[in-house]
Amino acid sequence: MNDDGSLVRLDDVHKWFGDNYVLRGIDLRIEPTEVVVLIGPSGSGKSTVLRTLNLLEEPTEGDVWFDGIRLTDIRTDLDDARTHMGMVFQQFNLFPHLKVVDNVTLALTKVLKLGNEAARVRALEQLDHVGLAEKAESFPSQLSGGQQQRVAIARALAMRPKMMLFDEVTSALDPELVNEVLTVMQDLAEEGMTMIVVTHEMGFAREVGNRLVFMDEGVIVEEGVPAEVFADPKTDRCRSFLSQVL
Amino acid sequence: MTEPGLVYRDPPDRGMAWFFANQTRLSRAVLFSGIGVLAFYVLGTILVLNAFGWTQECPEGARPSECSTVAPLVDGLTSDGLGQVTMITLVAGLAVGAVGFLRHRAMPTKSAREASFAGAVLGVQASFLALVTMWVRGTEVERFARNFLDFALLGENAGLAWTAISENLGSIVGWTVGWSAAAFVLVYGLSVIRHRVSQSGGEVGYAAPTIAAAAVAVVVLFGRLAAIAETPSFVRAGWNTLRLSLSGAALGFGLGLVLAVFLMSSRSVVRAPARVYTNFFRGTPLIWQISFFGIGFVPALRLTFFTEEDFLSPVLGTGAYRVAIFVLGLNLAAYSAEVYRSGIQSLERGQIEASRSLGLSYLQSLRYVIVPQAIRRVIPPLLNEFVILIKDTSLVSILGLTLAEKELLGTGRDIYSSSFDATAFLGAAIGFLIITLPMVRIVTIVEKRMRSGLTSVIG
Repeated sequence: MNDDGSLVRLDDVHKWFGDNYVLRGIDLRIEPTEVVVLIGPSGSGKSTVLRTLNLLEEPTEGDVWFDGIRLTDIRTDLDDARTHMGMVFQQFNLFPHLKVVDNVTLALTKVLKLGNEAARVRALEQLDHVGLAEKAESFPSQLSGGQQQRVAIARALAMRPKMMLFDEVTSALDPELVNEVLTVMQDLAEEGMTMIVVTHEMGFAREVGNRLVFMDEGVIVEEGVPAEVFADPKTDRCRSFLSQVL
Repeated sequence: MTEPGLVYRDPPDRGMAWFFANQTRLSRAVLFSGIGVLAFYVLGTILVLNAFGWTQECPEGARPSECSTVAPLVDGLTSDGLGQVTMITLVAGLAVGAVGFLRHRAMPTKSAREASFAGAVLGVQASFLALVTMWVRGTEVERFARNFLDFALLGENAGLAWTAISENLGSIVGWTVGWSAAAFVLVYGLSVIRHRVSQSGGEVGYAAPTIAAAAVAVVVLFGRLAAIAETPSFVRAGWNTLRLSLSGAALGFGLGLVLAVFLMSSRSVVRAPARVYTNFFRGTPLIWQISFFGIGFVPALRLTFFTEEDFLSPVLGTGAYRVAIFVLGLNLAAYSAEVYRSGIQSLERGQIEASRSLGLSYLQSLRYVIVPQAIRRVIPPLLNEFVILIKDTSLVSILGLTLAEKELLGTGRDIYSSSFDATAFLGAAIGFLIITLPMVRIVTIVEKRMRSGLTSVIG
């Protein structure tokens, strides 16, 4: 936990990609067990915010604090910090050359230095948790998109992270497969996991999110309790965005 | 399991039986005539030439004007019999071709059209071969045969007599079986250990050990045969070509992977030397590199690693031979580095992001996630580079290698200069083909397997 009681905090984060000014001063505090949903039009910088949280994108200016550590300090062991932050991607990004179970055990054995037996037990446990224990010996290409995404979630959870980052995890799925992934995420939220979710699933945002953050053009325009923001957006930009997507 | 209302049908049979059942009388006639004409040409030529004989023994010291080993072949090539075969083939082939091409569009079924077209093409091919034969018969057959078709020379210089093989049969078989068994046990043992350690399910396959054992058997058998072969000979030369390419490849593919990692570094100070290296070796001709290092660099600097006998000599040789292996390897490293790099960069960015987000370091990500996938993708282009390397070993012949060290082209040239018989080059070409064609075939198989998307399943 950071000294202000937050689990993760962005302090005035700016990011340029070349001349492209994508984050224009982001301040964000996320408390433990909070489920924060980031929404906004495409190109608004919400995925970039998520990726700066575990330093997959390095902020050009500003600081990222996680669990009392300043991640933007060059001396920070990022590999160690990242073991406490799980991340799930839009394109699943399972390792296609490894079996499902080996996808999960890889970081357990190589990073956490678990023994093979212990890693395998934990991996199967975690796969069972997302309902895919019987697919342990399959290769990712033999699974449906929804199953692959659940494996990706299991892979991240097996590290026992303090926080999970979800980057548009249902956007690449066929419509009938979206719910199986959302259900897993909802269960996770109910278990008290701290989650930051970039999504276009407004139903999920309303029901599972504790806080809704609306971004546009690299700044946080509006935030609040999801139901309240949906019912009565304070800003014109948020209102016009919500009228498009709801 | 089919649900009620869903009717399942097997796909209709479209095999050979269906093909032949859907022919017209004409299409069938064209197809079989085409096959017949080509077969007539090939068999007829072989039978005529065989009747005269391919080669003959000449008494020791006989002058070419008195007795030529190719005399029977020349008689056969100039005979009236072969003239009739070619004439009949030419006329019949063109006739089949004309009928087939003119009528194939009017055929009522696709099978008939394809048969008609195939028959026509075969007929034309036979006519073309007949024309070439006629042209050869019109040239100075005697001189052509003496210089390029003196097959006796290949037999004399193959380097292995049956007596030599049968005398050494015990050691040849012993070495081959012993080494390949050792390779099998080693690879099988390693995979069992890996299986135990990784605790992953499934069974340990026999495929990898069998392939390893077969490869080792081929190499060892070749090596043992070369060891008892005469000097100079094509068998020994082929062995040298194989040795040069295998050792060069081991060096080049290994160094290339390290170079590729350097080439992709985000730090320019790491990237720059690797870039200089690859640009240098890709930008200068291999023959220049071999000359420079073999004739200039190594002797001038007295690099004793290359010039003195040591424990590596049985594999890497000594002197110019070892320099050649290193230059071939250094050259291949530059090219294979670019291949590895393209393979690694063809992976989606998400792979390394997912890996890093799990806490794996950059090098761990390369080791466990990126490189294993990239290598699968670049196996076909890497094998291509290997085939190119096999052919490039011929450039080594500019170095002063001893007779026993010379590879195929060098040996071919030696045999040519002592016999003034260019058939020696034919022997060298045959040697290269025997080594490269299986490699090309393997490339095709691997590519086909990758296209069918089975790589991730095969692992």
